[in-house]
Amino acid sequence: MQTNRRQIFAALLAAAAARQVIGADGTAIPGKRPMILHNDRPEDLETPVKYFDNWVTPVDAFFVRQHIPRPAAIDPAAYRLNITGLVSKPLQVKLADLEKLPQHTLPATLECTGNGRAFYTPKLPGIQWGRGAVGNAEWSGPRLGDVLKLAGVDTAARFLEIDGADTPVMQTPDFVRSMPMEKALHPATLLALKMNGQSPDIHGFPARLIVPGWDGTSWVKWVVRLTPVAKESGGFFMNPGYRYPKYNLPPGTPARSAELEVIEGMPVKSTLTAPEDQSNAVLGAIAIRGFAWAGENAVERVEVSTDGGARWQNAQLSAQKLPFAWRLFTLNWTPQEPGYYTIMSRATDTAGRVQPIVPPWNPSGYLWNGIDRVGVTVEKV
Amino acid sequence: MTRTVLLWLAFALAAGAADQATIAQGQKQEQRTCLPCHSLRIVHTNRLSRAGWNKELDKMAGWGAKYTDRDALLEYLVATYGDDKPVAPPEMTADGRK
Repeated sequence: MQTNRRQIFAALLAAAAARQVIGADGTAIPGKRPMILHNDRPEDLETPVKYFDNWVTPVDAFFVRQHIPRPAAIDPAAYRLNITGLVSKPLQVKLADLEKLPQHTLPATLECTGNGRAFYTPKLPGIQWGRGAVGNAEWSGPRLGDVLKLAGVDTAARFLEIDGADTPVMQTPDFVRSMPMEKALHPATLLALKMNGQSPDIHGFPARLIVPGWDGTSWVKWVVRLTPVAKESGGFFMNPGYRYPKYNLPPGTPARSAELEVIEGMPVKSTLTAPEDQSNAVLGAIAIRGFAWAGENAVERVEVSTDGGARWQNAQLSAQKLPFAWRLFTLNWTPQEPGYYTIMSRATDTAGRVQPIVPPWNPSGYLWNGIDRVGVTVEKV
Repeated sequence: MTRTVLLWLAFALAAGAADQATIAQGQKQEQRTCLPCHSLRIVHTNRLSRAGWNKELDKMAGWGAKYTDRDALLEYLVATYGDDKPVAPPEMTADGRK
């Protein structure tokens, strides 16, 4: 009896120790600096806003979104990309063959379709992303069009189906996507072998799709199959997953499935990185900083308000005005009095789209792009 | 009168105890049903109404989740992670750079 009790106590202690190891305090994701942990199996990691002061987001700070467990490490020598379907000759392409094709580098902003879901009311199921499921990287690799050319795409192919090496558990659906051939063959659409000049690692090594300006869900990782097809396909993650109501809905109401559309280009948006939300600052010069992006367009203007949106002034934008990639903005602000200030940012893109005050609620919590805001208390020393 | 009140009180206590037992049962169900596919953070960071959790359980059943006590699991989720419950502050990972 006594022994049993001791054994039970020892087992309880061991269980507590095990819990500590897998607890957030001890959970580390290889290659990543401390990140906001939404889930550890599979990994869903958000970038803290304070990491965002560079135009290029480092790989070790870049957000991670996984629907199903990531595949076991892929041996680059054994890697094969299968091109099947409506092609002249089905092919198995080696990584070395992809490296021999002309390589292109494109800076592009990648944003999770659900970035900002946590801000919607009523609340929605899913990863409760705040402001950091977004990043801007320089992606390098062959054009997807050049890769497809190796197999010769049939003119009957209207869509491209893409599958990654990740496989589902139990009966969860496989992560398969499709996109119109027009976007697949766009010269900016790449099969990236590098991210900021490095291996993409957890972000899809050895090959991940770059679909500039489109939602992150389109950017399939660990690509192992490309299949030109006649009709849109892809299973759950194309339909009903990742669809958006054609007409805005009253918050909290279900969508009519016939009126849901595939999400493609992303909206215009800005995020404030400094001052930190709910921080304190000393009365004097204060730098307001952030970044803004606009899907397939470039950012035209960012306005900042320091009085809760009553008055707005233009922020200074970083010089490169590119489609697909974000621009950094700054505004030097010198408040005259101490107190609590609500700082807001509002971006406008080259097509004239402006961030709304209230983004449309939708049943999956996608595409949040409301005017950003932070609060800061300015104090006399 | 006193007897009626006492009886009512005993009933209320029993009902409360039953609720706690159901919730505990639901938590066990969560461990058995959800953990084979994913860790529980993805569940515990959500705050949903009863209808919302019910829908999620249906969705997971469609993906292979097997419930031996679905009702208890639903009660546990609503009681612990209902849309009236405060959102927990975000957790941070440790540094994974070597």
